[in-house]
Amino acid sequence: MGRLSNNCKEARAPLANVFISCVPSLLFLGLILSLYHVPLPWTFVLPWVPSLNVDLDVYIDGLSAQFLLLITGIGSLVFFYARGYLAGHPKAKRLFILLVLFLFAMIGAVVSDNLLVLFVFWELTSVLSFLLVGFNHEDVGSRKSAQQAILVTGVGGLFLLAGFILLGEIAGTYSIQAFLHSPSVLINDSRLGVVLVLIFVGAFTKSAQFPFHFWLPNAMAAPTPVSAYLHSATMVKLGIYLLARLDTAFSDIIFWEYALVGTGTLTAVFAAVQTVYERDLKRILAWSTIATLGTLVMLVGLPGHGAALATVALFFAHALYKAPLFFVAGNLDHGAGTREIDKLTGMRHYMPWTATAALVAALSMAGLPLTFGFVAKDAISFAKAQAEVLHLVSYATVFVNVVSVAVAAIAAIHIFWGHDTIPRKSHPHEAPASMIIPPLMLVLCGIVFGLAPTLIDPLLGAAAKAMSPEFDATTVNMAYDLAPVIEVTLGTIALGLLVYLRWDWLHERLSRITFLEKVGPEGWYLAIMDTLPVIAARLTRIVQHGILPRYLMTMLVTVAVLLLVLLTAADPPWLWPPSTNLGVPVASASLLIIVGGLAACFVRDHLVLLLVGGLVGFGSAVLFMFTGAPDLALTQFFVETVFVVVVATVLVKLRRLKIRDRQVPLEPLIRPLDLFVAMAFSLIVVVLTLLVSALPFDAQLTDFYATRSLAEAHGRNVVNLILVDFRALDTLGEISVLFFSLIAVLPLLKRIGDKRP
Amino acid sequence: MTSRAHIAEVFMRGLYPVLIIASFWMLLRGHNAPGGGFIAGLMAVAASSAYALIFNSSKASKKMPLLPARLSVSGVLVALASGLPAVFQGLPYLSHPWWTLSLGGFKLSLSTVMLFDLGVYLAVWGAIGGICLHLIETIEENL
Repeated sequence: MGRLSNNCKEARAPLANVFISCVPSLLFLGLILSLYHVPLPWTFVLPWVPSLNVDLDVYIDGLSAQFLLLITGIGSLVFFYARGYLAGHPKAKRLFILLVLFLFAMIGAVVSDNLLVLFVFWELTSVLSFLLVGFNHEDVGSRKSAQQAILVTGVGGLFLLAGFILLGEIAGTYSIQAFLHSPSVLINDSRLGVVLVLIFVGAFTKSAQFPFHFWLPNAMAAPTPVSAYLHSATMVKLGIYLLARLDTAFSDIIFWEYALVGTGTLTAVFAAVQTVYERDLKRILAWSTIATLGTLVMLVGLPGHGAALATVALFFAHALYKAPLFFVAGNLDHGAGTREIDKLTGMRHYMPWTATAALVAALSMAGLPLTFGFVAKDAISFAKAQAEVLHLVSYATVFVNVVSVAVAAIAAIHIFWGHDTIPRKSHPHEAPASMIIPPLMLVLCGIVFGLAPTLIDPLLGAAAKAMSPEFDATTVNMAYDLAPVIEVTLGTIALGLLVYLRWDWLHERLSRITFLEKVGPEGWYLAIMDTLPVIAARLTRIVQHGILPRYLMTMLVTVAVLLLVLLTAADPPWLWPPSTNLGVPVASASLLIIVGGLAACFVRDHLVLLLVGGLVGFGSAVLFMFTGAPDLALTQFFVETVFVVVVATVLVKLRRLKIRDRQVPLEPLIRPLDLFVAMAFSLIVVVLTLLVSALPFDAQLTDFYATRSLAEAHGRNVVNLILVDFRALDTLGEISVLFFSLIAVLPLLKRIGDKRP
Repeated sequence: MTSRAHIAEVFMRGLYPVLIIASFWMLLRGHNAPGGGFIAGLMAVAASSAYALIFNSSKASKKMPLLPARLSVSGVLVALASGLPAVFQGLPYLSHPWWTLSLGGFKLSLSTVMLFDLGVYLAVWGAIGGICLHLIETIEENL
């Protein structure tokens, strides 16, 4: 029976998944068709929060369009791949739902023209990345990585928000296009440096730049489709998208150029070195992704239009070769059960199609001619020649390229060629078609665009034009001047192969240098994460001591001091209230309260204490009744009744349980400090009450409700009308709080119930 | 094991519906006279608590229209939904439109404000009633 119902569930789930996985493909097709028929840029406005001047301004130019194509295009393949990767997985549907949400968050981030809306979508992608990295939440490593990812990008997000708000305040507008067209206000403002630093922190955390890079390799705990999609092709490029978007306004600032070129180069070199430490193919790919992200940041920082073109070309090339390589890593995991490069060799005999995809992707990654990777590399050299960069940056780029050639060789040659000499328990097998077609399609695109770059020229031109407006989109004509770069390429490849051949030797040498792990940024992160709970525990022990009388004492003293400060600061007219005839009912109600209060001071028995407490409550209810608040009086009656009866029952039963037997020895009846605090507090409250009653009564509010209740709310009970009509939103909040308090109390009571004697 | 109080049980069986009807009357009259969702909800809580004390908490929660947590959340949802008709009429959320039904000579005025008050009533009954019943349940289990 159980089997049967399980089967039914499995048969039903993929249908929903198929439906969901068509979403990005449909968007992609729609986008392609619209790009052909409607000229860029596309703009439209949806009002959202008019009172804050936040509208969903959509502005889609070449840069956004390029991102949209990558998001939906790679997305289609990732969704297709995920169907094979997670076939029969019980939580597959959850993954698809998260991925679709991520898709829309990403689209929102790249089409928004409003900084605050952009920020909202930006944060959404962080949250979804957290959920996706922690997809295998039973695993401690996954949870830790997810936490790290959201903490690093989330803190960066706060910096970004601060930067955006400051930027908006200076520019007087939150519309990106508006201040890109008139950046002079910004550039001449003295706070510009702060704005830039804040935005840098946000963009660098998101795009895994040094020193915030360490979360990205750890995020590889996510399922492979997620790594290929979020942590290589789309989300990590969002930071670079933002920098590219703002490049028009700030590219003339020296600080902008130096900060980006410096950070980008440092990140690229650092990541290239770190690559050699790893033995897991996915982590190797992650570090090489960081190296590419560094190169992209460096390119955004470079002046000149060549750099703009190089940036967009590298965006494209990277997506076309890195995503297939991630897919290959997933296929190896699936078919051979491991991603450790030591345990993988000669795989082409078992996985011929995966091997083909890996080889072609690797060619593009190494930047060999006739691939799109070569086109991108060509554009980069052109950009550097045009911008006249420092020699140091040039050498750094060459170094990074050498390592990426070596990584490509690992992924293609080391794993798939040679003889399989490693003993293993089960025979490796090829992945299903749904996991082979996506990488093959992507590498095919890489080859097509490599052979005929003119196909993609218009799009790249439009994207580059968005980054540098004076760029002439019609002059894009890429990758036909082989001569100047061919020697460099050959040199890089030769060096890269050398690194590849000495990879194990390098790995062994480098592994001995471990100080980076201890003193590096990840070490700081871990130190902070270790210290925080200790501080929190200490603070909690001081503040939350669990002694009820002391809590009460803290509250009373705080309120008393606050009231005293306010009273002395306001210095009201110290008048005695006019004498009024209270009447018998009010006087007797007051008497009830006084008797209850005094009795409570001298009673030791809990049950009697509860009853005299009830006396105070009923006294107040009577008082309310005769001072014109019948609703309040009724409420007070019911609350008091239910409270006294229920608590009395509890007390009686507790007494029957003989819990009182282990009662602490009786404390003295009067403790001087408590007495003092109680007297001081009541004195202040009495003084306050007297002062308030001495002031003339302001009838403005009463009149407002009195005149409007019947006319506008069709009722006579003003109290109830305030609750349900005039201030209905407040009441809605209150009843939600009531509900949530029930939810909060339930587990507490359950825990008491579980501790049976 | 609890000793049963037969007289109290018979008495309670008759009193409970009276209390609930009274609380409903309190809810409806609240528009023009003292009463309303909060007070009526508390009255119903008193009825449920009394029932739980004389019988037991699980019987009392079965006497409620839904389980306490569900009752409470449905109250919040009813209150949330009561604001929507105004939105469809182009008014701000939670402003309460009025309609007049004429049932042959007798005119009945209706408004979403009643729905809202009903939501408050249910939320209070469910939440506070739930806390009281669970507290009583804890004691029952420990005996």
